Order: sequence, then structure tokens, then C-alpha cells
Amino acid sequence: MTKPVIEVNHVSKAFRLGQLRSLKQTAIEAIAHLRGRPVHRRPLFRALDDVDFQVGQGEVLGIIGHNGAGKSTLLKIIAGITTPTGGDVVVRGKVAPLIEVGAGLVPDLTGRENIFVNATLLGMRRAEIKRKFDDIVAFAGLDEFIDTPIKRYSSGMKVRLGFAIATSIEAEILIVDEVLAVGDLAFQRRCFDRMERMIKSDGRTVLLVSHNMRQVERICKRAILLEHGHVEQDGPPPQVCDELYRRSERLSREAADVKFKSRRRQSSGEIDLGDVKLLGPGGEPVTEITLGGAITICVSYTVRSVVTRPVFGMGIHTPDFLYLATAYSDTQLHCDDLAPGTYELTFHIPRFPFLPGVYCVRVGVALGNLYSTAFYAENVASFQVVASPVRWAETMREGFLPLDGMWLLKATANSQHASA
Amino acid sequence: MPTWNAPRANSTIDTLFLPQPARVPNTVRSISEYRELVAVLVWKNITVRYKQAYLGISWAILKPLALMLVFTLVRSFIGIPSGNVPYPILAFAALLPWIFFQESASEGVQSVVGNAALIRKIYFPREVFPITGIITKLVELGINALILAGMMIWYRMVPTVQVAWVPVIIMFTVLTSLTIAFAGAAINVYYRDIGAALPVILSLLMYASPVIYPLELVKHRLLAEHAAGGWSELLYTLYTLNPLAGIIESFQNVVLRGTPPDWAALAPGALLVAVALPVSYIIFKRAEAYFADAI
Repeated sequence: MTKPVIEVNHVSKAFRLGQLRSLKQTAIEAIAHLRGRPVHRRPLFRALDDVDFQVGQGEVLGIIGHNGAGKSTLLKIIAGITTPTGGDVVVRGKVAPLIEVGAGLVPDLTGRENIFVNATLLGMRRAEIKRKFDDIVAFAGLDEFIDTPIKRYSSGMKVRLGFAIATSIEAEILIVDEVLAVGDLAFQRRCFDRMERMIKSDGRTVLLVSHNMRQVERICKRAILLEHGHVEQDGPPPQVCDELYRRSERLSREAADVKFKSRRRQSSGEIDLGDVKLLGPGGEPVTEITLGGAITICVSYTVRSVVTRPVFGMGIHTPDFLYLATAYSDTQLHCDDLAPGTYELTFHIPRFPFLPGVYCVRVGVALGNLYSTAFYAENVASFQVVASPVRWAETMREGFLPLDGMWLLKATANSQHASA
Repeated sequence: MPTWNAPRANSTIDTLFLPQPARVPNTVRSISEYRELVAVLVWKNITVRYKQAYLGISWAILKPLALMLVFTLVRSFIGIPSGNVPYPILAFAALLPWIFFQESASEGVQSVVGNAALIRKIYFPREVFPITGIITKLVELGINALILAGMMIWYRMVPTVQVAWVPVIIMFTVLTSLTIAFAGAAINVYYRDIGAALPVILSLLMYASPVIYPLELVKHRLLAEHAAGGWSELLYTLYTLNPLAGIIESFQNVVLRGTPPDWAALAPGALLVAVALPVSYIIFKRAEAYFADAI
């Protein structure tokens, strides 16, 4: 077996939080330090903590994680832009960093001049640039503007130029940091095609940082989940992506729990809300159910004075207060006046229809013929739906409901290129 | 297949002097490897600077010409001896290496901070920036040299074979500028005070260099007349510790007077640069790894 192309050996990167202070402050502290006095040190932040992995020849590795997990720092260290504070990185081969395409484009220079400057910055030789010049211009689609200063370009044109230059480098290792989410759809399509060709047919080693799970799943053979600077998982993309989904939903559920305290709540004083419990199929309290599973919402009300003909309502909404579904009790429950006391109301959902994600409960009580609101509260409880078989694509990102239907594909006219 | 090893370090970014081996022996190799990059960046600097200027690169010659006129005017009030060389051309020949030094040093110090966007995004040896800044100024020096040649024709001065020393003197000036540029650029990343202080320091340094007056005057006052008594020799050595003293005097010697460089005036400054340049470069290389974080 050949040596790995990229070795990341126990890499750590620590930053001091806060600002570097003035020269005077630094001098004062240096003197204090020399005299053995305690100095105030700014706290350390570990962007990367003991990250350790290897990438083999031709491997396509996806790096995923939440914002601030350390993905970009890791790429910058591998690209040599910054230095780790611990551990080391060995890279065998030429690296093409597509970290931020268009870095170093000079506004005052023309497109032609910028191709030469930028490609040289990225490590291309003059002869190589000349050879590829026409290809770059054609790919960027800037034929007629090539002798215009790029300060007159639209932002899309600049991005296209930057991408065309960056992807024309002949490097064994490609480092891609979410550059594909740029330009119009037609250009994104071409970027994808070029990336896929570079990855699949040329057998290059690729590191891809992306928030687009489908992209990672499609292109990568392997994925790494970074969180708080640690490698949390390293394996086949579907499992790793699924883990990230689970984590991000837990995060948004925690955020929903925080909002729980600042929920909207109105009461006329006649009736008040007690406990809200979420129960699973066996009657046990749950915070998580599987896709299509049963859930029972159990609410206790305290009635303070006699209320007439109450109608109970119960609804499901997303953590950002998009109302998804509501049910009213009046079709099933016929109650006349309720005497003061404590009541327990349950609402059983045998098959919760929504896709994996975080959902919240809102409840309300309306009274009498006029349906006047006696009580209303949003976000009184929240729970999470998780996918049971590992089907990561079925999440709230795809919509709210799984869409049932029948598929059919047939040719309606003979295509010229279709092979028999 | 080339192998690149990220340097090992075990410190944090706000320490300027990091326990990391400076890759000094690789410098010459990597600079030659990146010479195309330096050439393109120099071309870019010059193109961008003069692209929308109507007078273009002629702005580069305006500064020494204007200063020369001012000095000549001042000289008509206060007597400054100029030997048997006409004062205007003597002043211009002093301004040539001086302005080159002044501008390449400040360009070099600002070069790293000025290219912050690139430093955060693309890797190549960072000394490319100060070196590029200085070479850019070398182009402007070349243009000014043409003006000097024109003035020599006007004054009917014929250069002697001593002119062959000019490249050596300019090379020494480049090394002097690099001494300031490397350490200055690195510290300027952490403390922008350097960038603010440098113009002040350099304009003061001009008066401590034989730009307005010839070195002959200093030599005469200190070494012949012993103006400072017993301290005169020491003061003269201190004065020539400024590399520009030797550079300017020698430049005037070889171009205008047709005499060899003033080795005695060059020696203290050369010694200083020989010691300070490696130190300055090591500071730069040690700070380099953390430019992207601190800038």
C-alpha cells in the first residue's frame, strides 16, 4: 500500500480569544512577566483539538460539521495558509486550494491580466497559463469582456473567472470549500460537471467541505464529522451525514426549549394550564419518536370558575412558529359546563405524519357559542421525530410530509443520441 | 513528488518569537522557484499604480526632481559646499539611492498587511511580498537613473570605469531596505504602530544622511577640524553606521567624481547590515506562520 497523500497527525490549533492589545499593554505585560508577576492571559479557544486522519491517493473525503466546528481552519492548515499549534500535516503532492475562488483578483486589471496574475498566485507557470488561457476564458464565458477591467464585472462574472482559473490548475490534491454554491444555475451545473470530471476520471485526491449533504453523499467515498474541533465520526457518508442531522436537530430542539420560556401565552383567568406531557406508545414520557410513530399529548388544565361549552384545540408547529396542523375537540368531545377543578386532556396521534425534525405543540381553549378564547399558548412542549431506517434524505429540509405517489418514465420521441 | 512539511510549533499566536525552526537554507531555492510570481506581482504593482494616472510612471521622477529643486533653492540661502560637482546634480545623485531606500523600506513594511486578502487565502513563501515591494521600487530607480544620465549629459560629465560599482552599491541598498522590511513587515502585522512610525523615522533619517549636504562636509568638520574634540572619531563612526552615509557618498563618487567607493564610510554600515539582516529575516520567518491568524 502506498503512503497516504495527506497525513494529519494530531493537529491542534488554538487561538487566543479577544483582541491583541496595544504595544504599550504588551510591553507592560512583558515587564511584569520578566519580574515574575502574574499576567492576565486571554483565554484560549481550541478551533481544532487533536484531529488525526489520513487520506489515500484518489480518495474523495467530505468534511461536514456545524458552523464553527473547525472545518475551514482544517483546510487552511492543509493548504499551508496557517500553521497548527500542535501536531503536523504532511501533504504529498501539489495542492489546488479552491478555498475562496477569486481571492487576489485585482479590480483595476482586465480579465486577461487577472488570469495571468491569479493563476501565477495559485502556482501555475507562464507556459501553462498560455496553454490554458482560451479554455479558461471559454469556461468563464467572458470572451467579449476579457479586456475590460474586472471592476466593471458583475459579481457573478468575477466568481466565474475565479472558478475557471482555480479549477484549471493541474494539482494532485484539490481542496474545495463550498465554492459550488455560486453563480447562476447554468454555471453551477458546469461547475459540478467539471468538479465531477476532476474527481471521478482524473483520480485526484479531493477534500470537500460542504453543508450540502446530498453533494457529500453523491461525490464522496468517505466523510468526516467535525464538532468543536474533534473528529466525531469518520466513515461512509450516509451514516456520517445522518449523525450530523441528528445533532443539528438536537441543537434546534435545545433552542426551542429555550424559547419555551418566552412563548406566547394568553389567559382570561378562568382556565389555566398545568403540566404538558408527551407520551409514547407504552404510556412512557418521550422527547423523541420515530418517523410514523404514535404520540400522545397529555395536558392538564385547572379550571378556576365554571366555563361553558369549552372547545379544546391542539396544534403542531415548527420551532420558528409555522403552523402545520391543528385539531379541535368539538367533533369528538361534547362537554357542557365544566366545574372548577383539575382536568386531564389527552390527544392521541396514532401515526405522526411529519418528516424527521423538531416539532412544537400549541394548545388553546375556546368557550361558548362565541368561541371566545379563554386560554392560548404556543410552544408548550417540543419533541423530535427521527428516521427509523437510515434514510437521511427524509428530513424537514425536504418538506414536511412524505409525498406518496406513483412514478412512471417513458420516451415520447426518439432521442438522436439514445443507444438502442 | 514534492513534499511539504508544515512546520512544527507549540506556541500561541500572540507570541512573536516562536520556537519554530526558521527555514533559512531553503530561502534561495524557494525564491528562485517563485521568481515568476515575483515578476508578475511587480508587473501588477506598477500597472495598477499608474493605470489611471494621466502622467503614468513619470510621477516616479517627480519626487526627486522636486526635492532637488527645493534643495538647490535652500542652498542659495545657506552655503553648502559641493566640491567641483554642480550642486543640483550632486543632490539628485544623493536623492536617487535615498528615495529608493526610503520608498522600498516603507513599501516592504506595508507589503504584508497590504496583501491581507491574499495571505488569508493562498499559500506561498511570504517573503515574496517585501521582495516584490522592493523590486517594484527598483523599476522606478531605473527610470530615475535615466534622468541622472540626462543631467550628466547636460553638465557634460563623462562617467569613468568606476560606474561599474553602481550595481554593487544598489545591491547593498536593497539589502539595507530588506533589513528594515522583513522585521518591520512582520511586526506591523501585530502592531500597526510600525507602519505609522516608519515615515517619521525615515524622514528624520534623511537629515542624518548626506542627502542635502555632502559627506565631505561631515568628514571635514569631524575628522579635520575635530569639531567635537576627542569624540570626533567616534561620532564619525556612529554617523557612518547609517548604511546610507556610505551608500550615498559612494554612489556620488563612482558616478559623478569618478573615484572608487568610500570603503571607510561603507564599512560600519555594511557590518551593521550583515548582522541585522539575518536577525530581521529570522523574525520574519518565525512570525510568518501566524500571519494568516493575526492579520
